[in-house]
Amino acid sequence: MKILVGYKRVVDYNVRIQVKPDGTGVVTDGVKLSANPFDDIALEEALRLREKGVAEEVVVVGIGPADLTAHLRNGLAMGANRAIHVVAADAVQPLTAARVFLKLVEKEQPGLVILGKQAIDDDANQTGQMLAALWDRPQATFASKVDIAGGKATVTREVDAGLEVIEAELPAVITTDLRLNEPRFIKLPDIMKAKSKPIDTIEFGSLGVEAHDHLKTTHYAAPAKRSKGVMVKDAAELVAALKQKGLL
Amino acid sequence: MPESETICGTATLDAARGGWQAVGMIPEPSMSDPRLTELSGCLPGLRLLTASADLEHYGRDWTRRWTPAPLAVALPASTEEVLAIMRWANERRVAIVPSGGRTGLSGGAVAANGELVLSLERMNRVLGFDAVDRTLSVQPGVILQHVHEAAHGHGLVYPVDFAARGSCSIGGNIATNAGGIRVIRYGNTREWIAGLKVVTGHGELLELNRGLIKNSSGYDFRQLMVGSEGTLGIVVEATLRLTDPPPPSQVMLLALPDMDALMQVFALFRTRLPLQAFEFFTDHALRHVLAHGAQRAIAGDHPYYVVTEFDAADERQQEAALAAFEQALERGWVSDGVIAQSEAQAAALWRLREGITESLAPWRPYKNDVSVRISAVPAFLHEMQALLAREYPRAEVVWFGHIGDGNLHINVLRPDGLAEDAFIAQCEHVTALLAATLQRHGGSISAEHGIGLVKRAYLDSTRSAAEIALMRGVRKVFDPNGILNPGKLFADG
Repeated sequence: MKILVGYKRVVDYNVRIQVKPDGTGVVTDGVKLSANPFDDIALEEALRLREKGVAEEVVVVGIGPADLTAHLRNGLAMGANRAIHVVAADAVQPLTAARVFLKLVEKEQPGLVILGKQAIDDDANQTGQMLAALWDRPQATFASKVDIAGGKATVTREVDAGLEVIEAELPAVITTDLRLNEPRFIKLPDIMKAKSKPIDTIEFGSLGVEAHDHLKTTHYAAPAKRSKGVMVKDAAELVAALKQKGLL
Repeated sequence: MPESETICGTATLDAARGGWQAVGMIPEPSMSDPRLTELSGCLPGLRLLTASADLEHYGRDWTRRWTPAPLAVALPASTEEVLAIMRWANERRVAIVPSGGRTGLSGGAVAANGELVLSLERMNRVLGFDAVDRTLSVQPGVILQHVHEAAHGHGLVYPVDFAARGSCSIGGNIATNAGGIRVIRYGNTREWIAGLKVVTGHGELLELNRGLIKNSSGYDFRQLMVGSEGTLGIVVEATLRLTDPPPPSQVMLLALPDMDALMQVFALFRTRLPLQAFEFFTDHALRHVLAHGAQRAIAGDHPYYVVTEFDAADERQQEAALAAFEQALERGWVSDGVIAQSEAQAAALWRLREGITESLAPWRPYKNDVSVRISAVPAFLHEMQALLAREYPRAEVVWFGHIGDGNLHINVLRPDGLAEDAFIAQCEHVTALLAATLQRHGGSISAEHGIGLVKRAYLDSTRSAAEIALMRGVRKVFDPNGILNPGKLFADG
């Protein structure tokens, strides 16, 4: 079985996000970029399935500008067999990303597509679901445990009420939640080996995917600053202050 | 500043300054002690604690060898209160133990002999930032991590950093000239102190250096205060130099096949990469930190590990790092390695090194903290390893440290069935041998923890008799009555 893994590059989650002064986006210059944490989990899960003998090949997929190659090399160093780089100058929205994946699915015929449940830049949480709908295959989202046997995936999902276990016939789309696994470190010798692993480059324009953006971002703004707290001396002063604000 | 009366009350009270004893049992004091009544009379607003739980809490640091037994704990909120306490202490000859976050490992903040603990934890405000001077003025009780955050808030950094950052205070950092994990790039605390306000043992308030960059006007008392372990004065305000944030960095964990490779890899990496940190630990240390919940990053058994962080602002520097690793691999100096791909993974790799001390804490290990010149490290390591293997046939010895600074931490774990007293006696014996080895290599028995109580018997392995005599003389000048932290640094006051 072949597994396709979405591998997006985002601003590292430990970086304090700053909005550009002109409100056209967030600052990415000189900022640490890393793999979307949920995508690292997706890749780790695919690698584990390969190590268990469930899958033979793991392919990481990235959609982005030319310099995305270094990021995809990390995915290869982590253990993916090969990478597909869909070259697109601008960021794509979830529906477009799902359509790109559908094209790749048709070409690659994977038994499983594993995606992060969301990317931490726009937190859309849509691409996996949209892909499953376009592909007309089952989806198992927010996975915290995955077992593959007999052409079926048994997936434990993290839902509001707790955990839910479902079965999905393969091929299927699985999206990963935080507790699914802890991604491995990249071994330095593997970075060197990754240099000789193949990266297929596909121009976005050649896929025949409609690049219509359904969503339009008008501007970015930082959340309103919390007003400073006031220290009160004792309970009486607290009560008086609350009364003054009409809260008591 | 209000000039309070010299001292309230007139009763002559006996000094409570008996000889130092390792484990002292002193009757539980209370506010009924007339000296405390007098102190409260002078300073009605002063927070004074005498409950036994408070005395135990404030009477010790991370060492656990001494039974805390202070007279009381004073928590002044201002320089004026510190001055008044020092006047009272001089008048009544009450010993003072200045106290910060009490994360020290040498007993410098231990109060086991009826002293007044003068805790600066309420003096914990950031007083101001000067964008032109690029300095941050802080009270001594500010926690190191809060210094980092305050600097970060102004787009700058205070670069001294180590694992106790969340609990240690800047006053204690200054008292011990704290080093840590970035010394290789940024030096010790000393380098970052632009000015100090200090209350001397005699009770004078000094304003030292006032943030000047250049000041060639005689003895630099500011630098004398740094590393004085609370024996000369009490820092009541510090002006810290800040600097630009380092460029984006990468963190690697390397597995090494033998001890000789440590300095070979260090030499190679130092010439190839702009290092921010270069730390090592052994497989013993790794075992403890993994048992404590850290994530394993490299599979297999390797005797030595290095965590290194270096500037990796662009692809060229990242390539240089890989090339350095490749070269080390070819020469057989490293057997494996991983590189962090995210800040979270960088933190996980750092935890393997920074979590060691905490993971060993339940064993209450005996600690050595030694240094030699970098050039002397290989020869010293061999002698030291042979010494430890010979002298501790039964005890587990865990070592790690700032190898890029020539600084090693040796932690000896008490073997099952060996009584605490016998264990300490054995360790003291080995430390004397270690001190002699260090002396031959021109090293120091205390690299960054301070002498405190733990290492004072070995001070003369590092400092000459003439130096020690001068140190005592300096102490007399700043603290003529021997009020400040008696028994620390020197055995008799």
